[in-house]
Amino acid sequence: MAAKYPIHLWINDERFERLSRVGLAEATEDVLAGMRVIKVYCTEAQKDEFLRFYPSAKYDSATTKSIELLPYQVKDRLFELIIESGSIDVAGEFLAHPQ
Amino acid sequence: MECTGHGDVPIVEQVFPETDIASRIRGIKRIPIGDRAARECIDIAYGFFTPLTGFQGKKDVDSICDNMTLANGTLWPIPILLDVEDTILKEHSVKEREEILLTCRGKALAIMEVDEIYTYDTIRLAESVLGTGDGGHPGVRMMRRLRNRFLGGSIHLVGEPVFQPPFDAFWYTPKKLRRLFRDKGWQRIVAHQTRNVPHSGHEWLMKGAWFSAHGDMPVEELHTGVLVSCIIGPKRVGDYIDEAIVLCHDQLRKSGYFRNDLHLVSFVLWDMRYAGPREAVFHAILRTNLGCSHHMFGRDHAGVGSFYDPYDAHRIFEQLGEKKLRIKPVRVLEWWYCPVCDEVTYSGLCGHDEQKQSFSGTLIRSMLTDRVKPTKRIFRPEIYDLVLKCAEMYGFGSPFCTDQYLVQRGPVFTLPDIA
Repeated sequence: MAAKYPIHLWINDERFERLSRVGLAEATEDVLAGMRVIKVYCTEAQKDEFLRFYPSAKYDSATTKSIELLPYQVKDRLFELIIESGSIDVAGEFLAHPQ
Repeated sequence: MECTGHGDVPIVEQVFPETDIASRIRGIKRIPIGDRAARECIDIAYGFFTPLTGFQGKKDVDSICDNMTLANGTLWPIPILLDVEDTILKEHSVKEREEILLTCRGKALAIMEVDEIYTYDTIRLAESVLGTGDGGHPGVRMMRRLRNRFLGGSIHLVGEPVFQPPFDAFWYTPKKLRRLFRDKGWQRIVAHQTRNVPHSGHEWLMKGAWFSAHGDMPVEELHTGVLVSCIIGPKRVGDYIDEAIVLCHDQLRKSGYFRNDLHLVSFVLWDMRYAGPREAVFHAILRTNLGCSHHMFGRDHAGVGSFYDPYDAHRIFEQLGEKKLRIKPVRVLEWWYCPVCDEVTYSGLCGHDEQKQSFSGTLIRSMLTDRVKPTKRIFRPEIYDLVLKCAEMYGFGSPFCTDQYLVQRGPVFTLPDIA
């Protein structure tokens, strides 16, 4: 199943340095004044899982076309999984042990 | 001390002296009013709305709708209305030419001389003042919620509001502000209106406006000040919490990003109508009454959605001409971040349009929500740290209004108990 539903994680200078050390600097996109974004892609099933676990979240199909309003602790954990695994393909691993 | 407000009318405070208020109000019919009307009652009483001395009557409202002036020809763009249910008026047998006691949440607020009781077509109000009757406009929804009778007449405050921390440090009446400006030696004062915590784009808006206001004044000593005039009024989920707004703006000065002697934070009680250009004129009048010489207007000032062109609020001042206002509008474009210039820069001067990165409120909100410390180019680190501190102290964990905040927040002010 194609993974096409992104979760956006903000990357500041400190996080960029950590991503650089695991070879993922190029996976980020420049957004505003040095702030970057890295995208964790979800399949449709994974998207639905996130929305089920975290009812405050929503999928913004109109503007950003991304999963929005996840708790910041979830996003922090996703970032740490990226660093631990050296990969942005971490949605499945997170959902195996959701917080 | 110069205390002349809009329309060349002196600033006058309409507040009953404290002695013997209890006996003064005894026996007067007590009429409850809503929070918005209470805020505006306070504004009227302290001279924020000079030359108004009370809530407006039908003749003034007609003239405002048709001509954007009071009936006497003074420029005035937004009617200030006291709305009450007719059932309440009937219950208390309120008539014209009698005095009533306005109460808010059970506390005595002001004595009103009722000159007039009238009805008004709120659709006409909306279309004239807002330029639309579309229910998608929040100002239209506000006008639709107005109760079905209006009272016109002068007011005198009997219950002076007691502002609660942290707001007490930033409450200045027009007379107090003018005294402060005089004590600081400020000869020019540029007002920056805000409902946001300041990021770098905002900081540079204020600095750019300072340059404009300072103009050709000498530079060996600086006598131009920035008055940050925060709007405190009704909040919606997703707005910044009021406490963060005032404290973070003040932190810019405390942290030295503005000189201590050239920057001051204050606030005004006001329920935004989002009336675009008309409201820009209203804000100009408001800050005239505060003693400001200049008022900054950015893109889409007081606008909402796409109801107004982004520069309608600039153009309206061309139509008015300078004589009708005692304050100079400072019209500014946006400041953006340019990766080529590698700085926050003025859009009117930077030639790198294609590479510009705009300060989007949505993006910044997302960064704050995600608790990822923005780069220094976006947020001064002291401001970011204070935003998070305010979230914990006042916002129940969020720097943005939540349902919990809206219900449980501390009051901006309380009214005294008067027997």
